[in-house]
Amino acid sequence: MKKPDFIKAFSFSRTVYAVTIMFLFMPLLVLVLYSFNESRSGSWTGFSLRWYVKLFTDSSDLWRAFGNSAIVALSSALVATVIGTLGAVGVNWYRFRLRGCLRTITFLPMILPEIIIGVSLLVFFSGLGIRLGLFTVFVAHVSFNLPFVFLLVLARLEEFDFSIIEASRDLGATELQTLWRVILPLTMPGIMSGFLTAVTLSLEDFVITFFVTGPGATTLPLYVYSAIRFGVSPVINALSVVMILGTVVLAWSMRRFLKNIAAK
Amino acid sequence: MRRGPGLAYASPSLLWLTFFFIAPLLIIVLYSFLTPGQRGGVDLPFTLNAYRAIANPSFGKVVVGTIAVALAATFFTLLIALPCGYYMARSSKQTLLLLLVIIPFWTNFLIRIYAWIAILGNEGFLNDLLRWLGLAEESVRFLYNRAAVTLVLVYTYLPYAILPLFSTIDKFDFSLLEAARDLGATKFMAIRKVLLPNIRAGIFTAFLFTFIPIFGAYAVPLLVGGTNSYMLGNLIADELTKSRNWPLASAISLVITLVTTIGVMLLLRFNGTHILEKKHEKA
Amino acid sequence: MKRKYFTAIAAACVLVLLGSCSGSKDRLYLYNWIYYIPEDVIEDFQKESGIRVVVDSYASNEEMYNKLLAGGKGYDIVVPSGDYVSIMIAGGMLQRLDMGKIPNYANLDASALNRIRFDTGNRFSIPFMMGAAGVSVNKTKVSGYEHSWNIFERNDLNGRMTMLDDMREILGAALKYLGYSVNDSDPAHLEEARLVVEEWKPNLVKFDAESFARGFAGGEFWVVQGYAENVYIEYEPSRYSEIDFFFPKEGMPMYMDSFCILKDAENVEAAYKFINFMLRPDIAARVSDYLMLPSPNVPARALMTVTPNYQFEDLAKGEFKEDLGAQTLLLYNEVWRRIRVGN
Repeated sequence: MKKPDFIKAFSFSRTVYAVTIMFLFMPLLVLVLYSFNESRSGSWTGFSLRWYVKLFTDSSDLWRAFGNSAIVALSSALVATVIGTLGAVGVNWYRFRLRGCLRTITFLPMILPEIIIGVSLLVFFSGLGIRLGLFTVFVAHVSFNLPFVFLLVLARLEEFDFSIIEASRDLGATELQTLWRVILPLTMPGIMSGFLTAVTLSLEDFVITFFVTGPGATTLPLYVYSAIRFGVSPVINALSVVMILGTVVLAWSMRRFLKNIAAK
Repeated sequence: MRRGPGLAYASPSLLWLTFFFIAPLLIIVLYSFLTPGQRGGVDLPFTLNAYRAIANPSFGKVVVGTIAVALAATFFTLLIALPCGYYMARSSKQTLLLLLVIIPFWTNFLIRIYAWIAILGNEGFLNDLLRWLGLAEESVRFLYNRAAVTLVLVYTYLPYAILPLFSTIDKFDFSLLEAARDLGATKFMAIRKVLLPNIRAGIFTAFLFTFIPIFGAYAVPLLVGGTNSYMLGNLIADELTKSRNWPLASAISLVITLVTTIGVMLLLRFNGTHILEKKHEKA
Repeated sequence: MKRKYFTAIAAACVLVLLGSCSGSKDRLYLYNWIYYIPEDVIEDFQKESGIRVVVDSYASNEEMYNKLLAGGKGYDIVVPSGDYVSIMIAGGMLQRLDMGKIPNYANLDASALNRIRFDTGNRFSIPFMMGAAGVSVNKTKVSGYEHSWNIFERNDLNGRMTMLDDMREILGAALKYLGYSVNDSDPAHLEEARLVVEEWKPNLVKFDAESFARGFAGGEFWVVQGYAENVYIEYEPSRYSEIDFFFPKEGMPMYMDSFCILKDAENVEAAYKFINFMLRPDIAARVSDYLMLPSPNVPARALMTVTPNYQFEDLAKGEFKEDLGAQTLLLYNEVWRRIRVGN
């Protein structure tokens, strides 16, 4: 009977996972607490909803920044996921010229310091006379998201059993059918990790966005960063709590869809 | 591996990165050989001055400090991420577990760093707890040193390590572990000799996703570091914005890029099989 | 299919994005320090003039300057501090102003204008706010100190003090402490200043320009170098008496944030209207009340309803930071790098 050993290993990893999740959520607890604090300083002075009231009545700048962030995060993650997944499938599956080239250049955006990527893109855009704004932010975000999606999907494809694809072809499936019906569903966990990583990276990015943004295209991290010298207002904490709740509701309502993906 | 429409698959990625990444980067290469402008920016003539300035020993000190912090943070991140990825891959509630890891990161990271400051500060929650438990009388200084920088970096980059590990372990054939056990391997041996080699690609990706961004970290050392936690990212940012020496900032960045690229390649070579070039005999 | 839903949402985002990148000419694009002008003042201007104002914010001169230098376009008005005004004039980034369009310029304090060297006669810049970083002390924790930079020499406060992460502010403080100018270019004086800072450094927790005020308000830091408005905003008014904000007797570096119109501004007329509006006494008084800072606008002082954190006269011992010029800047950079990195 060797199975129990693996159950033990399983419970060890479960403990680590549980502790890790606590570690990850700890700052969020603090944030929730502060969003209900009456005073704006660090010490607790009493329960109050004043920051939520201010958030929904008197924070148009903040909401504008939030909207910009959401638009850029979703659109850039989507485009990067599509392009990156195709690239990974091509590199993993076929031999072609420039193959090594793609592998190398996908590494570079991860290696270079963000600030240099930001400046180089800014110089590039202004050299071409492209007006800075949400569009340039979107382009920059796709550029730094792409390699992450590419590598995540590739890591998944590396473990792939290629005989399935051969089988699909032997049964007469076309290139597109194989891609759509066989490769993509089996790679879905990798693609989803890629997409989620891309959304996360995009929502987080401050340095690159700072350089390539233009008039009226302030994103949430830019707003927060320029505000920290004046102390982060608890209104931003309140917004974060609302965002977390929104994410949870969204995830809950999409649970069927997500489960389908995971099941495949 | 076969011939076929591979280039068609890859061309969107290739074009995008060439146009929006390589082209701008070439500008930076050019900049590193120019002279700093009177008021920032760059000017003629061409010179190697920026590269000469890097030879300054004070840079070496920053590099060594940065490598130490980055290695430590990456090590702890992987140590935590491996069991997490393993548990997630074996669980039947993968989606939920995945979302739990990611949701905290949809809150602005500066806000989360501020929350850490509130937890670890002299008057913070942790010190309150220690005092309440009677474990400490004076407040313990957790913040504003390299340990604090390392902790917050581990926190910041954990999901970037967990995701690739999860997605490779998920593809691992767990019956191999049982087979190894049946052949008399201990649990530890089975994991070390069977699981780890098989998920090497994932470990490697996780390493890259954490080590490299940490190497260029800027905001974390700025906010939770002390007077001696200056890292390379801060150095580059200061040269670029405060000292207005664009060529020097470009040169430092290029040297980092070069060194990191060579490091990655050596690692691949050293690792025996070329992970990303794995042969697919079946195909 | 939910998957289609999802794709549709993301595709809509891409479309919104493409639509939003066309610029508009009936708008005034203001690139300003964060929280420098209260939102209701901007709204009042929009109502009075019918011009829409789009505000983007920055937290330091360097951010703003590098952004514009690398080709950032589309802004009409920026608000650099004095030293950056002269850098931007020399770089040909600013427009020569037509004073006929800014009659409210006459409201500004002549004694302050006369001290300006970065743009003598205000040909390119219109002063908006004048101030300086000082030292804030938590009186409930620290006593027995004098109003001098030497407070940073006290090693009994080790681990409870911060100074700004700003080369000019720190070297300027040290130079003033030694009796030199904040714009001193003598290498020997700078070396002396470096030794002074090296003496302060072991007593500091960190060089911090971002979160010192929050740490100070939370009781984490007891002595911080920084701007008064940042510190006071973190406090509830009932606890103001805990703060002792002072300018050291030796003097300190000082700034004058000024409105400038960029050379490639698209909406110049609106920019003039906005600047003139901001210099109106009632508006200037509202801004000063909001920031709790003294106003360089003379008629506005009588209209203020809030007691500022310091008086205009306190700034007499300050000295404006000027552009150092490329050679001297290299010298400062070298000294600052040695301090920051260690020897």
